[in-house]
Amino acid sequence: MPKILVADDSETIRMLLRTALGRAGYEVETANDGPTAHSMAKDGGFDLIILDQLMPGLLGLDVIEQLRDDGVEAPVLMLTGVDDGTTAAESLDRGAVDYIRKPFDMNELLARIKSRL
Amino acid sequence: MLDIRIAEIGTFVIYLTDVALLLLLVGLKTIHRSRMRDHDRRRQEYLGVLSRHVSYQDCTDPITPRMAGDSAFLDALIDVREVLSGYELANLEAIVAEHGVSAGLVRRLASPFPLGRRLRAAVALAEIGDKTTAPAMIHHLSDREPDVRVECARGLARLKWTAAIDDIVARFAIEEAPVRARFADSLVGFGSKATWPLLAYARVNHRAEDAGPALALRTIGRIRDLAAADSIHQILEEGPSLEVTIASVEALGVIASPYSVEKVEPLLHDDRWQVRAKSASALGQISEPSSVPWLSAALRDVNFWVRRNAASALAQVPTGIEALYDALEDADPYAADAAAEALADAGELVAARRRVSAGSSGDEPLLAHMESEA
Amino acid sequence: MVLDVMAWVGYATIFYFVAMQMYLLGLTVVSGFVLRRNHHLRRFNRGTAMLSSTNAPPVSIVIPAYNEEAGIVDAIRSMSIVKYPRFEIIVTNDGSSDGTLDALIEAFRLEKVRIPYRPDLDSEPIRAIYRGRSGVDITVIDKANGGRADALNAGINAARYPYVFCTDADVVLAPDCLVHAMRRIVDDRERTVGVGGNVRPLNGSRIEMGHLISASVPTGLVPRMQVLEYVRTFLASRPAWSQLNALPLVSGAFGIWRRSTVVDVGGFARGHMGEDLDLTMRVHRFLRDRGDEYRIVYEPSAVIWTEVPNTLRVLRRQRIRWHRGLMTAISDFKGMTFNPRYGRLGMVTWGGFFLFEYLAPIIEFIGWVVVPTAWLLGALSTQALVSMLVLAFGAGLANSLTALLLDESYGYFNSPVDTSRLVAMALLENFGPRQMTVMWRIRALLGGSATRSWGNMERRGVANLAKPTGTAGTG
Repeated sequence: MPKILVADDSETIRMLLRTALGRAGYEVETANDGPTAHSMAKDGGFDLIILDQLMPGLLGLDVIEQLRDDGVEAPVLMLTGVDDGTTAAESLDRGAVDYIRKPFDMNELLARIKSRL
Repeated sequence: MLDIRIAEIGTFVIYLTDVALLLLLVGLKTIHRSRMRDHDRRRQEYLGVLSRHVSYQDCTDPITPRMAGDSAFLDALIDVREVLSGYELANLEAIVAEHGVSAGLVRRLASPFPLGRRLRAAVALAEIGDKTTAPAMIHHLSDREPDVRVECARGLARLKWTAAIDDIVARFAIEEAPVRARFADSLVGFGSKATWPLLAYARVNHRAEDAGPALALRTIGRIRDLAAADSIHQILEEGPSLEVTIASVEALGVIASPYSVEKVEPLLHDDRWQVRAKSASALGQISEPSSVPWLSAALRDVNFWVRRNAASALAQVPTGIEALYDALEDADPYAADAAAEALADAGELVAARRRVSAGSSGDEPLLAHMESEA
Repeated sequence: MVLDVMAWVGYATIFYFVAMQMYLLGLTVVSGFVLRRNHHLRRFNRGTAMLSSTNAPPVSIVIPAYNEEAGIVDAIRSMSIVKYPRFEIIVTNDGSSDGTLDALIEAFRLEKVRIPYRPDLDSEPIRAIYRGRSGVDITVIDKANGGRADALNAGINAARYPYVFCTDADVVLAPDCLVHAMRRIVDDRERTVGVGGNVRPLNGSRIEMGHLISASVPTGLVPRMQVLEYVRTFLASRPAWSQLNALPLVSGAFGIWRRSTVVDVGGFARGHMGEDLDLTMRVHRFLRDRGDEYRIVYEPSAVIWTEVPNTLRVLRRQRIRWHRGLMTAISDFKGMTFNPRYGRLGMVTWGGFFLFEYLAPIIEFIGWVVVPTAWLLGALSTQALVSMLVLAFGAGLANSLTALLLDESYGYFNSPVDTSRLVAMALLENFGPRQMTVMWRIRALLGGSATRSWGNMERRGVANLAKPTGTAGTG
């Protein structure tokens, strides 16, 4: 069963994704902030990482960069809440494989995840 | 003696008030604390229920009428709605609407007091999105409470109840600025159906006053209906006031129709610097390569902001970057500075440094510019 | 005869004190109505408060920094994740003698650039400009030391956007503070030129990674006294003044201004001890004299947390500085005091400032001297004296308690310990702390060696406040 890490400071998103992804057959773990996400991803052996951009401690973009520096290869999907194109584009530059804007369609998210795993 | 009596009575009253306030303070804090904890606990529970409804087609978790009337449930619902779009949400609304929640809320809204409950009822109606409540919301568009009016407009926009658009636009003229601004937000929610009523309002009223028509034009821009561009061109041709001109150009920039280029370019020679600056930005947003020569000329404008906006516009337009590099060599130092800024913001400076540290021996005019003295 | 005069002076000072409490009570009542409305909407309106990027005007956050090496990087990082669609951060390094500039350059990978910079406002000469784009647009201006106002001016000069948010380096922003504040501007774009926010002391609260986790009332008496003061002014006075469109002070820690208006009035006054008060009043006067319709408002939901002095020594310096700033402002704007031409600002707020902020220490001091003397000499009956003192004390207590009640709805302090600490403070206030502030203000009036440079407070830096044990600034 593929393992996914969901990192977002919003409890709503963590709960929603945990339920929906769990239903879809994935094992889910969550993190509330940047540094925790980074350390969990480093140790964890996740097959996919879903990152929010605006998290306390460390921005999502910075987390990706640090993970790539640490040699973590898992694909990263960015959740961008802020309504501008720069974060999205930059996340792809830094090594994310995809991004999805909030508010998002759950079916679409599930489809994108499926295509990456 | 008399004034001492007054002082004594006054003192007594004050102390009674103090004791009452103290008791109220302590009492309220204790109650508030336990209520908040309870509320949060229920909210989490409801969040779980809603998550399961969203994730499982066949979810059988019950949503009772009591739940649906709970403000913690509304909190959870609003949180979920902020994050999700798509049609599982519609299923959710159907489930909620089944339980007579909306009818209760409409009744609460209809009663004249108290303010708090009426406001919460209005917000809840806006969030729940039950079509049967639309007539009530239209009725309350002329409620005496401004905040209730705002929430009703918002609710109608979420329902995309187009019949309400005319009512809302009609109120543009009579509402105060804050309410009008929020009505405008709601109109954006209606999408292109709101474009024509707004345009009509702007065309009729822009000679009489500025703020309303300017707001209407900015709102039209936010709706991004390409069909509106032509009408905005016509408004510009009538030579409106500064505020309305700026709002029109701003809207054209957001709509970004290629046909606007030839209407906006002449404005780069307007007497008013605000118009020139706004036009430069708008051309950047429209991003037509034919604008490049005009924008390059604007780099040498006399006004500080026009130059800067022209430079960042060039960075957005295809082939504009070359024009910026050309401007680095320009005799006009202000144009060169503006171009350098736009290039740095576009990432060219970082790219140049990378090339240098990778051992490239080519010319780096941008680096040379940045390192030179002003 | 002399005794009669003394008695009347004694009565007059007590009457003055009661009048002051009545004035504050009036403000509190109006504030109560304003906040109640705000409260109803705050509960659900997270959705509508969010501005979309097409609607939200971009903002330049301007931060003056002097010897902030310890905390500047973390402070800027925490500011960079404020929830707002488009903004830039401008830090002015005001000739720091420590590694502030280097810390910034390294952490944000800044590049030295030569870009357009127009000195719309006066400031000390700029030495260099740096820019970076890692995650957030950040510009650093390096300049010779000139003080906070000077540094702000330089930052505003470099600001690219039509609105500037002036604040300090050692604050913790609530993530939605910009959204709430800018909402007021969007609501009335043509008229709103300034928005002031709600400043709360963060001493004693738990901060982690630059974010407030939970607020508590500090144990130390010095910061605790200030918590009460801040609650009183930000919850019981400012909402009322804002409602009257007569807000005399947009805090230096949280002030959003329309850039063009700040430039029109010449920016912050360099070397002024109360540059935020001065700017606000100057904007008022400028726009009123011009006959423009405008608004300067206060937004209670736009919250920012700042470290307040922990020791008497630092607090004293701060208060002396503030009072000297007030003195300069009272003198500069004396034409507005009780001048009907300036409407409610002149008649109510500025008149109130003059009477109850400026004159207060003098009159109280006179009271301390005259009243006991009059009583000792028999000019004042014991009964009258006691009743009136007790009346004045009670009125002051009522004001504090009402302010605490108003704060209640924000839900920051909810443990019984917090409540009892604040109530105890309200009771204790008039037996020591108040007298101390009066003495400091008298000291300020007499002039002399008031602190010249701003920012000499012992700064621990926001990062250092986030120790693993959690509590900040205890003691």
